Amino acid sequence: MQAVSRRSFLKTSALGLASGALILDGGWLSHANGAAMDYFAAEFGISDGLCEKVLAKALARGGDFADLFFEHTISNYLILEDGKVNRAYGEVALGVGIRTVKGDQVGYGYTQELEEKSMLAAAATAATIADGTTATLPVKFSRVSLADRYPLKKLYSAVPLSDKLPLVQSANDKCFALSGEIIKVNATLNDQQKRILIVTSDGVKAEDLQPNSFLAASVTAERNGRRERAGYNFGGRREFSFYTPALVDELCKEAVSRVLVLFDAVKPPAGEMPVVFGPGVTGILLHEAIGHGMEADFNRKKISTFATMIGKKVAEPFVNIVDDATNERLPGSLNVDDEGTPGQKTLLVENGILTSYLHDKISARHYRVNSTGSGRRQSYEHFVQPRMRNTYMLAGPASPEEVIGSVQKGIYIKDVSNGQVKIGEGDFAFYVSQGQMIEDGKLTAPIKDVNIMGNGPKMLANITMLANDLQMNRGGAGMCGKGGQGVPVGFGQPTCRVQSLTVGGTQA
Amino acid sequence: MNKELFDLASWAIENAKKAGAAASRVAIDRERSVEISYREHKPENIKEAAKRSLSIEIFADGRFSGQTTSDLRKKALEEFIANAVRTTRLLAEDPYRSLPDPHYYQGRSTADLQLTDPAYSGYTPEERHKTARAMEEACLEAGGDKVISVTAQAQDGENESVLLASNGFEGGQSSTFYAGVASMTAQDEGERRPNGYHYAVAIRRSEMPGPEEIGRTAARNTLDLLGAAKIKTETLPVIIRNQDVSRVLSGLLAAMYGANIQQKRSFLADKRGQKIASEVLTVIDDPLLPGGLGSRTFDNDGMAARRRIMIDKGVLNEFFVDWYYSRKLGWEPTTGGPANLLIPPGSRSVAEIMQELGRGIYITGFIGGNSNSTTGDSSIGILGKLFENGVPVQSVAEMNIAGNHLEFWHKLIEAANDPWPYSSWRTPSLVFKEVVVSGV
Repeated sequence: MQAVSRRSFLKTSALGLASGALILDGGWLSHANGAAMDYFAAEFGISDGLCEKVLAKALARGGDFADLFFEHTISNYLILEDGKVNRAYGEVALGVGIRTVKGDQVGYGYTQELEEKSMLAAAATAATIADGTTATLPVKFSRVSLADRYPLKKLYSAVPLSDKLPLVQSANDKCFALSGEIIKVNATLNDQQKRILIVTSDGVKAEDLQPNSFLAASVTAERNGRRERAGYNFGGRREFSFYTPALVDELCKEAVSRVLVLFDAVKPPAGEMPVVFGPGVTGILLHEAIGHGMEADFNRKKISTFATMIGKKVAEPFVNIVDDATNERLPGSLNVDDEGTPGQKTLLVENGILTSYLHDKISARHYRVNSTGSGRRQSYEHFVQPRMRNTYMLAGPASPEEVIGSVQKGIYIKDVSNGQVKIGEGDFAFYVSQGQMIEDGKLTAPIKDVNIMGNGPKMLANITMLANDLQMNRGGAGMCGKGGQGVPVGFGQPTCRVQSLTVGGTQA
Repeated sequence: MNKELFDLASWAIENAKKAGAAASRVAIDRERSVEISYREHKPENIKEAAKRSLSIEIFADGRFSGQTTSDLRKKALEEFIANAVRTTRLLAEDPYRSLPDPHYYQGRSTADLQLTDPAYSGYTPEERHKTARAMEEACLEAGGDKVISVTAQAQDGENESVLLASNGFEGGQSSTFYAGVASMTAQDEGERRPNGYHYAVAIRRSEMPGPEEIGRTAARNTLDLLGAAKIKTETLPVIIRNQDVSRVLSGLLAAMYGANIQQKRSFLADKRGQKIASEVLTVIDDPLLPGGLGSRTFDNDGMAARRRIMIDKGVLNEFFVDWYYSRKLGWEPTTGGPANLLIPPGSRSVAEIMQELGRGIYITGFIGGNSNSTTGDSSIGILGKLFENGVPVQSVAEMNIAGNHLEFWHKLIEAANDPWPYSSWRTPSLVFKEVVVSGV
């Protein structure tokens, strides 16, 4: 494809491109450059000279540094209801966020028009955070070379609808085929390709293409007049080719088996008891109990319960917890964070000792350490915050059977739907959608719909057994919310035992 | 109605028709907002935002899709709409998709809902800084030596929107808002650092409480969390604070939506006309409330908005059924979701009710938890105060309430006299008897 004709087309129709990308069946968009390099220059005419000018404006009243965050994101949903893929939703987000930082103070403006005049106006807004009379001069920036943890050989927008539709349709047919008790099936295919360009006044230019997608099935079943509902999803920063017929088989089996077991569920218990977490998605425990509390903005302001615990023993020596951008194709994997810092792996707890917070550039300057590459934002409309990526606990020596067998009376958690933490108190909670009773070291009756609570530091000290079966959550629909911003995250853990948590059941 | 937005929306509808759509509906939103937060006596963040978006719903060949973009340049939009129509045609047919019968557009209120503050354009940057600073200072002062950190944020904005449908609907709305929030973290025993907050939001600046009041209340709410303990599992009366009622009420409402009913995931689907709560519970959706944060004269389908008693003295009266699910269910449509939800207040204050109850828990926050709309099962973490002899004596945390909505709302014995004004859900504090509160 010739650059000239392409450019002139886009000049008049920059978002024609984006809309075309919605779920266009083939067409010229399928030829779009899959590589991340120079996308914004080629498609929107964003030159280095323009960036320099805007950065200079953002620092016109001084400040430590400024950055530009360009984003072009195309999201699509294909939705199946009542047996047919009969609705689609799409969204295009295009804009640039401009930030000026002075110490821990941030000025921010954004515009949806990638034109010089609008960008300079947004930069002038950002600049108001500084009150000096001397401008800070931006450093000449150069492109940072990045890892390639989620290559997208074929853009989602280049996958014809004729490939996507049968995939979603098959989830319906397979779920119904698995059980005569299924009365409703809903399925969703979501794909999002997010292109970002970060240019900073302290010399960084980084560009990335961050795909994220999931295929979800949710089923409602009826037995003797009673109804139950459950679901499952697979996803991450995947190629579309990840979603094979075999994967849809597995998806449907998981969803259907999860709903049918609920008919046998007993009333969950209430009170304090040992809790065993199955592997994988239950890693939400770590996300709530320790992950958020380790985000450095909360510690810089001394409002996290972990604010004075770095270097201290917080767990048994066999406990190691990491927050990691370097995994391949997980929802929280990053080649680069949203401030231009390359993605990396951070040890939160090493051999039971609290090791590092999760830093963005502001907190890194405050603590005089390097950023851990944890600066993230939902979109160009939002501030950067220190955030988690993929948070998980390393495996231990026991077998899963040994862990379960060690509990006389307690509960086993298989799946969870959501969680929350109060950073300052360290109190957390999460909602169990699938679990079982443990009686005399054996898994017995299923339980469901029960909230579990604990306290972060207490829980860490209470991890008494770890199995050798570390699994990462295989879903892609997991979003973490903080300060009104959502970002995709991953989590995982091996089967583990926590000596005591509060189970919010009804059976006192 | 904003002429510029109206003209663009009509142009988009024309284009969708040219591109082959049988029908379409276009919504355009434009918003400007400013937020300023203060911490340690200086601005922590200053942010200004101007955003706009166009959403188009396409009905073509008996098929449907919805697409949104932020690029409103006409050339770009033309291609965007053409692609949206092409995309729509590739989906499966859906015989239930259509624009509403125009009959439902009729009877729209012409009353002035008072959704804008005429003084908005005179609100200066200096006043914004002053407001945020005053919230911070008041919170710091009231928090005293317990303060670890205080953040105060002032926000405001103005919004304009239009909605047009190709079968004749035209509507528009403008609104303004002001919001203030102060949050404080306090030093407690050991490593516990409780965080509490207070906020207010209103359409007119004159309806906002003074910034000092927001700051002071945030400090008091935080100090109230100090010394929290988990007490033993017990069956007690609980009072849910006005602003926190929405969390449990939303679990009940989830089962009242047309989509959940038609998709067989509503525990209320067959309960219309039946008693699902005690007589104390009346829930009204009033879109026409002057100055209400959720007020509107038409809903997302363009259907004329009107006041509805959703739950009348405990009896389930209506569901939230939009046009599409009304067609799937074969029911009359009502509206897709609540505008302003009102629970009529009672006559006594929370303090008076506590006096009479003697012992119980005053719930001032929730943590985690969820509610299953298919079965009605729910479990949620609580925090708040244990009261004895009518007086708060101990703050509690890491405790939980659980049950089924079909039982829980029958335990409602009283509504207090304190509807929360800073939300589109104006709920008073609610009192429930005999709730199992699990702890140690």
